Amino acid sequence: MITLIIYLLIGAGLFVFLLALALRKGAPVEGCGQEFVEARQALQTLRSGLLPADLIEGIFGRGDLEYVTAETVPEIHRMFLTERKRISLIWASRVRLEIRNLMHFHLGYSRFQGKMSLNTEVRLAIDFLVLVLACRALQLVLFARGPYGAPAIVGVAAGAAARVCSISEKSLAFLNPLGGATLPNDTGSGGATIQL
Amino acid sequence: MTLPAKAKDVRAATEDLRRRTLAHMPRALERLIYLSSTRDYNTGLYHHDGLALRFSEESSCEALADCHREAFRELVAASLQELVYQLKHYAERSQASMSDFIAAWRDLEPYRVAIPAGTDSLASELLFSNLKIALAILETRLMTPWPAKPSASPRPSLVR
Repeated sequence: MITLIIYLLIGAGLFVFLLALALRKGAPVEGCGQEFVEARQALQTLRSGLLPADLIEGIFGRGDLEYVTAETVPEIHRMFLTERKRISLIWASRVRLEIRNLMHFHLGYSRFQGKMSLNTEVRLAIDFLVLVLACRALQLVLFARGPYGAPAIVGVAAGAAARVCSISEKSLAFLNPLGGATLPNDTGSGGATIQL
Repeated sequence: MTLPAKAKDVRAATEDLRRRTLAHMPRALERLIYLSSTRDYNTGLYHHDGLALRFSEESSCEALADCHREAFRELVAASLQELVYQLKHYAERSQASMSDFIAAWRDLEPYRVAIPAGTDSLASELLFSNLKIALAILETRLMTPWPAKPSASPRPSLVR
């Protein structure tokens, strides 16, 4: 009797799982325009607002730190580190937020629009995973050790974010005006890499 | 006016603005403050009498907005050392004494209304933060002699 109940439960579970899958595949593309627009905005924010190389350099580069250390009094040095820590935490949390927006779009909607190869989907999934973990780790390290405590993680996060942007842009290319230019890519073709 | 003709007019207006008015303002901070002062607070539109006479009102507005965004980008990319020098020169060219200037800028933060519309908040925050630190450095330098001027070259890039 117990075995029968277990089999029935497994069968019911499988049925619910398959039903959920079927309903998801059949979800209408119509009406999800808002998600496309939000994904596009997230992409634009990442490209032009958060990932430009000179902005990352301005926040995490050591040039200003060396200047402040060499030329100013300890109070200004402390103020500088506090300010940079604040800005770097804002950067990490905003990159994480925009990446989550893009990830949500890819999980729910991009499959209806883009013709992505399995290889690209796997690469994208890995990049999303790396990014979400890297951004979370970065927030913790920046909070604990300050803006210059994790240059390698900053480089990994910026590089993976640039790759995700490139792939996402293909999924959203149909939103570009005909003959219009694509989103500005200030990070360069290979994405931003930090050399420290 | 067709789109290419309009783009050509805006380019010509931008060149004219750079050659005549902005040529006297070599530093980005001066240009940022000046260009923001040509913007109407109520409409967000830029106006320059001379430029609007030579070109259309719309083209001169776009030219001013382009140059404003350019000055902002230049300042965000400037090193802290360069920003301190730009602030010092700007203060010296103003009519106020250095201590009054620093007090006014520290308390009123006039640079907050001088940024172009549509800029990302993080870039603005970075600039505000750098200006705040630069003002503090300038204040401590009131009592101490100034070191040599930094080279005009941009900061060495660590990001490729």
